[in-house]
Amino acid sequence: MSYRFTVSPHLCTGCRTCELACSFMHAVEGKRGATRIHPLETGFKELWVPVVCLQCDDAACVKSCLVDALKRNPETGTIDLDREVCVRCMACVAACPFGCSLLDDQHNLVVKCDLCGGDPACAHFCPTHALEWKPIETVKRKQAV
Amino acid sequence: MVSLTINGRIVKAKDGEMLLAVLRREKIDVPAMCHHAAVEPFGACRLCVVEITRAEWKGWCDYVTSCLYPVSPGLIVNTHSDKVNELRRTILDLFLARHPDCPEIAELAGEYGVFKTTYETVVGGNNCILCGLCTRICDRMGFTAISTVGRGHGKEVAPPLRQAPPDCVGCLACAENCPTKFIEYKLRKKRVTIWEREFELLTCTKCGKTTITKDFAEYLSRHRAIDAGYFEICDECRRKNLAVSMGEIVNWERELLT
Repeated sequence: MSYRFTVSPHLCTGCRTCELACSFMHAVEGKRGATRIHPLETGFKELWVPVVCLQCDDAACVKSCLVDALKRNPETGTIDLDREVCVRCMACVAACPFGCSLLDDQHNLVVKCDLCGGDPACAHFCPTHALEWKPIETVKRKQAV
Repeated sequence: MVSLTINGRIVKAKDGEMLLAVLRREKIDVPAMCHHAAVEPFGACRLCVVEITRAEWKGWCDYVTSCLYPVSPGLIVNTHSDKVNELRRTILDLFLARHPDCPEIAELAGEYGVFKTTYETVVGGNNCILCGLCTRICDRMGFTAISTVGRGHGKEVAPPLRQAPPDCVGCLACAENCPTKFIEYKLRKKRVTIWEREFELLTCTKCGKTTITKDFAEYLSRHRAIDAGYFEICDECRRKNLAVSMGEIVNWERELLT
């Protein structure tokens, strides 16, 4: 069954549990890694937006990668970064128009959201269901108001 | 798919795959300094040497660099036999003699129990092991700004005519991936110097954080059809921009519904 990752900003309370879940999920050698999801303030009252990779169709990060380290995974549909192939030239970090390909300073690695290989930890930990991982049939595209 | 035996374990591998790639996937710790998955194998450092044999070889075996040896059915591989370890110790011993001040080599040699070289140390050498990883990565990325020049004792990695390379864009991938951290670059406020060429770094127009070099951004927008405007602000500010613009939509919808 195919699943879809949904982000509903109006439910986000900015509790940052997803950040914690992400960093512990992507731990490197027992140390927690950089978070791939950032709940950020928007300037409006009681409104946060969890900023996470949008897995664009015509992705700037894939186009900018000169060694083909970034490829679309046919199983999950995400754009995956092959850490073995990456040469850390920072082209994707500079090219992503949403800033969702980022540098893990502590481990000197380029990281991006891979939906935890098809079962995102942030969605499981989100207390308000702002982030959800659900079967594609149950996802309704929002109608224009 | 082919199946082979590695250290007594039966392992499946893809056709035409190199042995080192299989060993890395199986999490078998085989040292290698010149290996990088982005580029073709080269076999320069010789540290990934393994012992191979077959049932029909009647006890005979061969010692090959696993990065350059394709897998085949029925192969029996031993990665840490006494003979292999002895070979690696000899290679590390020679490395230590040539590069006595290199911490990366000293650490690897220490793992194999080589703490002091038995050969005469080379005086006035440098830390470059001439593995060619930097030049191969530069070729792979499509710049070919550096290459190995000279032969024998005079061989070294250098830009053409040992002058500031015109094809370099300052992506720093050569320095980032050098196994002995020999390639140096100087990072000053808004400038970076590598291969004796100075590059201007792009700065975020919002927060002033430096990103990639101007030349690299120009190359990407010209050859990879990426909007030049994407490089104006840093990744952190772009995330904030996205949050604000998405917030505006959500806020507009929220006001409409309440």
